[in-house]
Amino acid sequence: MRPRPFFLWFFLPSLAAAVLLVAALGEIAQYAFRVFTPGSLEVGGFTLDNFARLARPIYLSVLGDTLLISLATSLFTLLLSYPVAYAMVRAKSDFLRSLIMLLAVTPLFTGEIVRTYAWILVLGSNGFVNTVLKSAGLIGAPLGLLYTRFGVIVALVQFSMPVMIIILATALAHVDRNCERAAANLGAGPAQVFRHVTLPLTLPGVVSGTVVIFAWTMSAFSTPQLIGGGKVLMISNLVYLQGLSSFNFPFAAVLSLLALAVAMGSLGSMHPFVSRLELKAAIN
Amino acid sequence: MKAQALPAVELTRVSKNFDAVQAVRELSLTIQKGELLTLLGPSGCGKTTLLNMIAGFDVPSGGSIVIDGRDVTAVPPYRRETGMVFQSYALFPHMNVFENVAFGLRMRKMAKLGIERAVGRALEMVKLEGFASRRVGQLSGGQQQRVALARAIVIGPKVLLLDEPLSALDKNLRRAMQLELRELHERTGLTTVFVTHDQEEALGLSDRIVVMSRGEIQQVAAPLELYRSPANGFVASFIGEINRLPPARCRIEGDEAVFEIAGHVVLRARRREKLTIAEGQETHLFVRPEHLTIATSKSSAQNKVSCRVTTHLYQGAYTLTRVDAGPLGNLQLRALGGEAIAAAPIGSQIEIDIDLDEAVILAG
Repeated sequence: MRPRPFFLWFFLPSLAAAVLLVAALGEIAQYAFRVFTPGSLEVGGFTLDNFARLARPIYLSVLGDTLLISLATSLFTLLLSYPVAYAMVRAKSDFLRSLIMLLAVTPLFTGEIVRTYAWILVLGSNGFVNTVLKSAGLIGAPLGLLYTRFGVIVALVQFSMPVMIIILATALAHVDRNCERAAANLGAGPAQVFRHVTLPLTLPGVVSGTVVIFAWTMSAFSTPQLIGGGKVLMISNLVYLQGLSSFNFPFAAVLSLLALAVAMGSLGSMHPFVSRLELKAAIN
Repeated sequence: MKAQALPAVELTRVSKNFDAVQAVRELSLTIQKGELLTLLGPSGCGKTTLLNMIAGFDVPSGGSIVIDGRDVTAVPPYRRETGMVFQSYALFPHMNVFENVAFGLRMRKMAKLGIERAVGRALEMVKLEGFASRRVGQLSGGQQQRVALARAIVIGPKVLLLDEPLSALDKNLRRAMQLELRELHERTGLTTVFVTHDQEEALGLSDRIVVMSRGEIQQVAAPLELYRSPANGFVASFIGEINRLPPARCRIEGDEAVFEIAGHVVLRARRREKLTIAEGQETHLFVRPEHLTIATSKSSAQNKVSCRVTTHLYQGAYTLTRVDAGPLGNLQLRALGGEAIAAAPIGSQIEIDIDLDEAVILAG
């Protein structure tokens, strides 16, 4: 066996972190099976009622909304990020490449709350969008953008783009340019080169980027909280309402587990798909 | 003029600048239909840039490119109908062998049945029958090379462009592929431009060789002519191995040209018709290692030079012997077999004979 000189130094801290995370998760999991006593923080004995409560239409619709918003966010993020990543990777001048990189990634370094408030300013009744449209004479009354699913999705897409751009840029940078040249040499115009070579070769990046953003958006909290203003509920907001407004820890725990299960399920379902694509795209 | 004489590719004063670097300078070249032409030169001589300009990947900074009578200088690669084999093969990793070879035909909207037949024929031609459904990643380097070739020839290109296609293969495979490439060329009759920095490969494969250096053509000639009468010192020392003797002064004595080197060494050669060197002119002599022999006491050769043996490099079929010939500098001899090693041990003083009849003689 090969000696692994640093193994212990890395293993022990990771074990400690894992124990803490699993313990926290275990605590949440055990809450999910306890009886809720209204007006009390103490929970009672064992029950499965909390899970049964999930089937109520109101909670199902929140789950549906969450899935819908996450799906829309990941798809729009993909559509908007691909051209940016492409331009960034393929820019001929170093300056242009750095500029796109800087603009694409900067949003990552502003806090989530700051970014969300910026969107409130942009989307609000007297915000940027409405002011411009009104002064252009295109609309009479301000559009209701804030407190809608649309507004939430717009903000979430912007938050997700830097991550998506980085994932796609990595995939694009690994495409062998000579494969594209070979395709052109064989008679493929620019659109066909993209369709038959560039896109298929970046498909693993496209899939993993989309799934990562989907799972990430599933747990969005402050954006739907602030931009949705209570009118757009995602699972995290429901957990907050149940846990910290109604102090219904058991049901909040059930909702948390549900969100976790959906996120892990989507990541897990991606794995065989992506590894098959990567196998296909593997060079040599 | 015969109709056949229409050239496949005509380059007229083609230049290419990359920022401040001139990769190709006002180069003109005509490639005949059906010939296998090699662009040969050291790395950075502009040969690959030239190939990329014919394919359309690089746009010339000046000059014009005509393929099959059509000016394609401003035509994008996908409308040029050239077939390129890349140094890295550039096979599509997400497609199998069949799909790779069929790609060009699919782009040409050929019917499915026709594609199947054409791909089958192309794979047969490169001896890859039965590999159609293999993944590209499962193939060896030599097999990938053949797929790349099949993919390029299946479209029936106006000109086949090969960018150092053999450089990634090991030596034995390379030799075998050289033979196969030559046979393939005979069978298909495709006009082929082959880029290489390997002079042996160029000598073995080509109908004509274009020797390039610093973006300019040094000489265009058939392999035999190139080897025997290089146009200048660069070509002489780039093609094959050659001894460059110190500058000599030439005078004519009857039927002989007499060269005086470093004041006192005198070498004689029969006068040749082609030799156009004036009395007293400074000349450069280049002699191939195979034209230097160890002199025996019996031999009556006129150009005997004494020297000391420094090394032997035994190569199987022949032995390369390096000697220190005093004022003539270090020289290399090539003798068949390995007898020289025993006949002239390292450190011994011997006499060698320099045969100047085949020497390259260039005016200084």
